[in-house]
Amino acid sequence: MRVLRAIIPLLLTITLVYALDRPIGPLPAVGPLLDPVNGCWAGAESEEEDFNADLKLPGLKHTVSVWFDDRLVPHIKAGNDHDLYYVQGYVHAYFRLWQMDMQTRAAAGRVSEVVGAKALNFDREQRRKGMVFGAEHSLKAMEAEPRTRVMLDAYKAGINHYINTLQFKDYPIEYKLMGFEPELWTNIKSALLLKYMADDLTGATEDIPLTVLRDALAPEEFAMLFPERITGSTPVIPAGTAFTKPSLQKPAAPSDSTAFVHLNVNDFEVEDIEGKGSNNWALSGSRTKSGAPILCNDPHLGLNLPSLWYEVQLTAPGINVYGVSLPGAPGVVIGFNDSISWGFTNNYRDVKDFYTIQYTPDSNAYVFEGRQIPFEKKIERISVKGAADYIDTVRYTLHGPVMYEHRFHGPGGLKRPLAVTWMAHRGTNELLSLYLLNRSKNYNEYTAAIHHFQCPGQNMIYADRQGNIALWGQGQFVNKWKGQGRYVMNGTDSSTLWKELIPMSENPHVINPSQGFISSANQTVTDSTYPYWYNGMFYEFRGWRINQVLKGMQQATVQDMFALQNDVYSFLAANALPIMLHNLDRTSLDDKGRQYASLLDKWDYKLTLESEAATVFQTWSSMLHKAIWDQKFNSIPAGLKPSPERTLQLLLMQDSVYKDAVNISYKQTMDSLGKLKNGLQWYQVKNTSVNHLTKLPAFSYPGLKLGGWGNAVNAVKGNHGPSWRMVVQMGKEIEAYGVYPGGQSGNPYSKYYASFLNDWVEGKYYKLQFLAATETNKPSSFPYSWSVQPK
Amino acid sequence: MRFVVAILLTALLAGITTWLLPWWMIAVSAFIVMLIISVKPVGGFLAGFLGIALLWLVVVMTKDISNAHVLSGRMAKLFGLPNAALFIVVTVFLGGLVGGLSGWSGALTRKIFNQ
Repeated sequence: MRVLRAIIPLLLTITLVYALDRPIGPLPAVGPLLDPVNGCWAGAESEEEDFNADLKLPGLKHTVSVWFDDRLVPHIKAGNDHDLYYVQGYVHAYFRLWQMDMQTRAAAGRVSEVVGAKALNFDREQRRKGMVFGAEHSLKAMEAEPRTRVMLDAYKAGINHYINTLQFKDYPIEYKLMGFEPELWTNIKSALLLKYMADDLTGATEDIPLTVLRDALAPEEFAMLFPERITGSTPVIPAGTAFTKPSLQKPAAPSDSTAFVHLNVNDFEVEDIEGKGSNNWALSGSRTKSGAPILCNDPHLGLNLPSLWYEVQLTAPGINVYGVSLPGAPGVVIGFNDSISWGFTNNYRDVKDFYTIQYTPDSNAYVFEGRQIPFEKKIERISVKGAADYIDTVRYTLHGPVMYEHRFHGPGGLKRPLAVTWMAHRGTNELLSLYLLNRSKNYNEYTAAIHHFQCPGQNMIYADRQGNIALWGQGQFVNKWKGQGRYVMNGTDSSTLWKELIPMSENPHVINPSQGFISSANQTVTDSTYPYWYNGMFYEFRGWRINQVLKGMQQATVQDMFALQNDVYSFLAANALPIMLHNLDRTSLDDKGRQYASLLDKWDYKLTLESEAATVFQTWSSMLHKAIWDQKFNSIPAGLKPSPERTLQLLLMQDSVYKDAVNISYKQTMDSLGKLKNGLQWYQVKNTSVNHLTKLPAFSYPGLKLGGWGNAVNAVKGNHGPSWRMVVQMGKEIEAYGVYPGGQSGNPYSKYYASFLNDWVEGKYYKLQFLAATETNKPSSFPYSWSVQPK
Repeated sequence: MRFVVAILLTALLAGITTWLLPWWMIAVSAFIVMLIISVKPVGGFLAGFLGIALLWLVVVMTKDISNAHVLSGRMAKLFGLPNAALFIVVTVFLGGLVGGLSGWSGALTRKIFNQ
């Protein structure tokens, strides 16, 4: 009896402990999570956290010092390259380990392994597009080069030493919530991260919808609505710049019937065509108050926490560089050193093309030039949390992997097999480019450095202390025949293959143009005199605005640059709204309609955060775009509609044609605004959020008070915007400012997790504390330091 | 007196063991203490509950205050709780419950051998 009485509570205890020790569905195990010693509470960083440390790290050659400034930016000083990148790896892992793990998993298509079947389609797509295929090629190139080999190996050793010191208690909270463990770093992960960026920047193409539209519209109409290049662009390389004489001949285009195919597919997904946007520009000394050049860059990317970027200063013999790094890759990506500064915007030239593949009846081979070539099949085994492994077979052709087929549908359910040829598949060594760029002392070294940067193609702006400004539309591009790769191509014919590569030295570039400034904002790269043919997904509004402002700028100061990076003037509104209002029939409007119209009459075209007129205009212009195009394009199986830029031009040319659309869309706008619950202020309606990578609301910041949109320089959208704002004045003393929407720590429980976010929202900047290479004493304003000794 | 000693001993033993071993050592600790110290079954539950709850409360509050409630606030949101304090209450209560049940078991088990 006594035994029985003891057994019942004992069983109860064991059951409770067991239940608390196991994950329930997607929820983490509650017991280990709540454990005050080892669970989530272990990550409770003190407000007064002492980051000082004495570290002994195995494999280090000499002593390294790491000084943290008041924003927790590390200034790493090492005696050699190996030690420098070793400690950078250690620091990245120390502050951002889970993010590095997750982003490389995402690149490799290994998310299902930790989140379950909901990520399976994402993982399959990553593998089918050849992310690992490309990363393996680049890894080979990076490991074959002695300097980047040292970089990768040392960086990996630093990360792994940190991981090896961890126990469950020390894991970043996300591991505890998601129930997995950090795994050791390998060099392929760094390669994957770089391909992840390449995919983000060159992955989107319009090949498939354009192929459908080309058949659906009359040729003149197609050319009018979807011009190959928009007229009136203010190109990245100023119009009239003389280009290097081409060393390659323009290849002859094969006949249309040989080159292209017809797609008969229903139902394509609608793509967001409002435009992402990154900006960079440089002013020569002739336009600045100080007489020194100023370089500005704000690359726009998805806004997440932990932030994509991590600020750092790296100092060692031959290098003293400050800027932002990518956790997961060694070196500095965007920044400045003792002599030069540089920044990137996406170049958007098309480097990803699709080919139809003709399977043989047994699906083991494909037809090319009348022959049957066996596929190279790659078995992709995807681990899925809580389910059996998923096996996918990806067929590789001489074009590249078959991304879409009946086993994995393309946009809108496309079943026809399409293989993808993509510059990101190639074994390129962008890391070498960063290695050299970080150490460049002048324009010649800069150009030599960036010539190793092949994909993703970037508009690379440059300014130095000698007073030069320059820009290269840099990347590895193919000498294409006119039209090549704009549409899905016939994969059975050799005439459609990519052939010669354009020599790097013939990439579009400009140095010290007479206009005294250079800018790029993802618009068309060159005027029509550039000798090689290219297409791409270019955006014009921001370029038009930036060039307009810079043209009138004299005696510019860094404050003027801050203002331009935060400029919310809508070029679209300034040009389209007068015509829209002119065609609006006010007599048929109710009170509300007239009230909103008069709001627009008085508006200054600025998408400021409180502006109600901005909300009315944005809604109206999007409704107008729909009213003009929906009827025509919804019946055509493709989601692509003429760009907002082209629509604006058509509106300007023949506004009376669109009178009905203007009035119908205005009524729809009134209906739509009537349904708004939160208020009419622009920031409330667009709701910019900076979310944690898991999208957990507890770790995210929704509803930020921000103006701007894709048609303004400050292109802050829902969760996309300036991921790093930087302004550098290259005088005797380098004066640099920067800010990014996040914080140096990836720990959501740290006060450094999102410590820059408010200042970023308000358009404020931090003065970047760039230490001289000779500095031997930690500045007194720097609160913490690590003394790192070899073990 | 024995009751107070049982509470403090549970807290102490659990504190030491969970520093190095998994969280469920709190259950083992309360169980062992009630095996050693003679308390009534109800007393075993209360001593186990209070011992663990006390330990967890002290550790949690120390961390929470120096962390300026950032963690407790975010975790409360994660669990859909209205405020940070409630998250702490839930944490401490769960720890206490495990300690209490195992303390109760321990006291009853002792009785088997004490007949």
